Amino acid sequence: MSGICRPRLAEERKQWRKDHPFGFYAKPSKATDGSMNLMEWEVGIPGKANTAWEGGLYKLTMSFPEGVFSTFPVNSPHLLINFQRPKIIRQSHPNSSWTGKFTPPLFHPNVYPSGTVCLSILDEEKSWKPAITIKQILLGIQDLLDDPNVNDPAQSDAYTMFKNDKVAYE
Amino acid sequence: MSSDYEISDDDESYYYDDEDMMDGTQDDEEDIDMADFGDDFRVAPKSKRKSYELDYDSLTQKAVEQLMESDVDYICGIFGVETSTAALLLRHMSWNKERLIELYMDNPSKILVAAGVTVEEPSAQGAAIRSHSSTSSGRRPTRSASKLLGMGSGSKSPKPTHNLALTKAPKPPKPIPFVCPICYDDSPDLRQLSLDCEHCFCSGCWTAYVGSKINDEAEHDIRCMAEGCTLATPDTFVRAILMSPTVDHEEQAANAATWARFQELLVRHFVASNPNLKYCPYPSCTNTVSCPSASSKASLTTIVPVVSCGARGIAGSSQGSSLGSKEHKFCFGCAIESDHRPVVCGVAKLWLKKCRDDSETANWIKSNTKECPKCMSTIEKNGGCNHMTCKKCKHDFCWVCMGPWSEHGTSWYSCNRYDEKGGSDARDAQSRSRASLERYLHYYNRWANHEQSAKLSVELYAKTEKKMEDMQITSSLTWIEVQFMKKAVEEVEKCRTTLKWTYAMAYYLAKGNEKELFEDNQRDLERAVEDLSELLESPIEAENIPTMRQQVTDKTVYVQNRNEIVLADTAAGFVEGRWKWDVQVEGFDAPEGPDY
Repeated sequence: MSGICRPRLAEERKQWRKDHPFGFYAKPSKATDGSMNLMEWEVGIPGKANTAWEGGLYKLTMSFPEGVFSTFPVNSPHLLINFQRPKIIRQSHPNSSWTGKFTPPLFHPNVYPSGTVCLSILDEEKSWKPAITIKQILLGIQDLLDDPNVNDPAQSDAYTMFKNDKVAYE
Repeated sequence: MSSDYEISDDDESYYYDDEDMMDGTQDDEEDIDMADFGDDFRVAPKSKRKSYELDYDSLTQKAVEQLMESDVDYICGIFGVETSTAALLLRHMSWNKERLIELYMDNPSKILVAAGVTVEEPSAQGAAIRSHSSTSSGRRPTRSASKLLGMGSGSKSPKPTHNLALTKAPKPPKPIPFVCPICYDDSPDLRQLSLDCEHCFCSGCWTAYVGSKINDEAEHDIRCMAEGCTLATPDTFVRAILMSPTVDHEEQAANAATWARFQELLVRHFVASNPNLKYCPYPSCTNTVSCPSASSKASLTTIVPVVSCGARGIAGSSQGSSLGSKEHKFCFGCAIESDHRPVVCGVAKLWLKKCRDDSETANWIKSNTKECPKCMSTIEKNGGCNHMTCKKCKHDFCWVCMGPWSEHGTSWYSCNRYDEKGGSDARDAQSRSRASLERYLHYYNRWANHEQSAKLSVELYAKTEKKMEDMQITSSLTWIEVQFMKKAVEEVEKCRTTLKWTYAMAYYLAKGNEKELFEDNQRDLERAVEDLSELLESPIEAENIPTMRQQVTDKTVYVQNRNEIVLADTAAGFVEGRWKWDVQVEGFDAPEGPDY
């Protein structure tokens, strides 16, 4: 399967442009010089209607491994929620200094504090299969947003809150 | 157990007048007559096992595969299924035949689906078990294509996007060109393969997928590449993928290696599922040891199951020195160390844990700290005067005499009050708390010392080899006659390992006559080993070689016998339940009272 990574991604791109679910986007990232990097895609997932996630567009970076140890599509791609810029909060006291604060990438039980998404279809030892398409992955993540997998938590804060206080979580 | 010994026994007997040697019916080593010492190395033949050894068999990978086959045949006979189906079922049930038969009789289709032999079918359950049974790559099941399509794009797979190729070409030899849904390759000479689920992929993708599963994930349970499809690949299918002829020789060799690895994984899974079997832990060794007597946890309180897979050396490492090609000895009951005789696994584990936690810390605490005389908190004094105030209980005391500071009156900062009552009481309390630490360190230091010495004996061996060469040159002795040095070194190493663990055992033994007897045996062995070690280190002069040889041989036999006695007596003690511990050890009765 050596060398099939790029043809496969090119074909995925073609299929995506032909037809993709509404509100989603997925495109190979661009380097500063404008060249296209097929091995890393920028994708956006809209929150499902009638859920707490509605109206949001969640941006992720999807990187496809290609190398000696792992190669897409034998191995799964890696998904990272994009960090938002640090929000600057001004303290109410005028003398206090500016404090910068990183918002967590996404407050969700199955997203690691680093931004890595934990989903069974993205794990080779669980449900990853080479035949899974990018479209299926993105739809899977949209489902995951509103329907977290509490058996496999990736960050403790969101997990405990989800378990104990559903209202506050939302 | 060393086979080296047997060979040289026979070789040497020509100049040792010892009828016992040849007939091979030596009596047990335990009741060796002291007068016999000095005759020769008396080692019981391999077939005769000593009281502290146990029965075990070493199996090669082939032999284990035969065991697997017989299990598979057994299931085939009962269920009337194909071999590969039976193999998948057994693997799914971790080779528990009874449970498999039970579940299969209860609901065959359920277990067939769970094992990945068949796909779930909403209708006609169980009707097509036999026709479902796995086919090799080329064959297609004879069922109608419409039924297959119903499964593929039915309710099971919610997003059948990639089924495009399938719906177009459910049966491979169709005019519509096949496009592999993974690599999107559509060249006409593509070889396509699918399991019974009819999810077709090209052979290249299959090879890469199977290779990645086997080599990178060490997984033998390989499922279909389609999303959500749980059909498992039978061995025949894996074999067809990996062993099909390719143009590239390198690739073919790599695939063959993957196939070999796959078979090894199957054997490992079988061995891991069977409590009577253990895989040899030495690198790149593929042997298995069968030891039914040590399979239960309870048995580990009475025996130390040291076994050997029969192989020697480590593939790829230098075979030069004979100690470098040691036999693959390991403990069947635990993974901590190859040979922790005479002490049982539970105690050895306890000891190692304590050592990891304690030894260095304890040494440091002992030399750098004192305890508060009131609350016994450990305190390090890193500066300041001798008037200490405990941070925890606020007790004021003198660092020098440990007495309460209030008794010091005005003689501050120059403690001269060593004999005061308060001070000596505090010191007594302190020394009591230190005693347990001292006691531990006593045993630990000896344990570590023997471990170190055993390691150094490899070095000693190199030196000995040199000596042996010198001896052959400077004296008229032949190669076979200087082997006594090698044996002596090997014996020293063996005994040091035993000694090392006797200290771990002695630390946990409860006080009493039994412990005293044990320590007497230990002392005798230790003295003998040290004598022999010293002798081996001493320089060799041409004129004293015969006397030296006599001495070394005598001492080696003596040491060997002391070692046997320690091992045999301890083993007998375990069987009789003679040993009492002063801590709670897994599988043993609780200690009677706090001795320490």
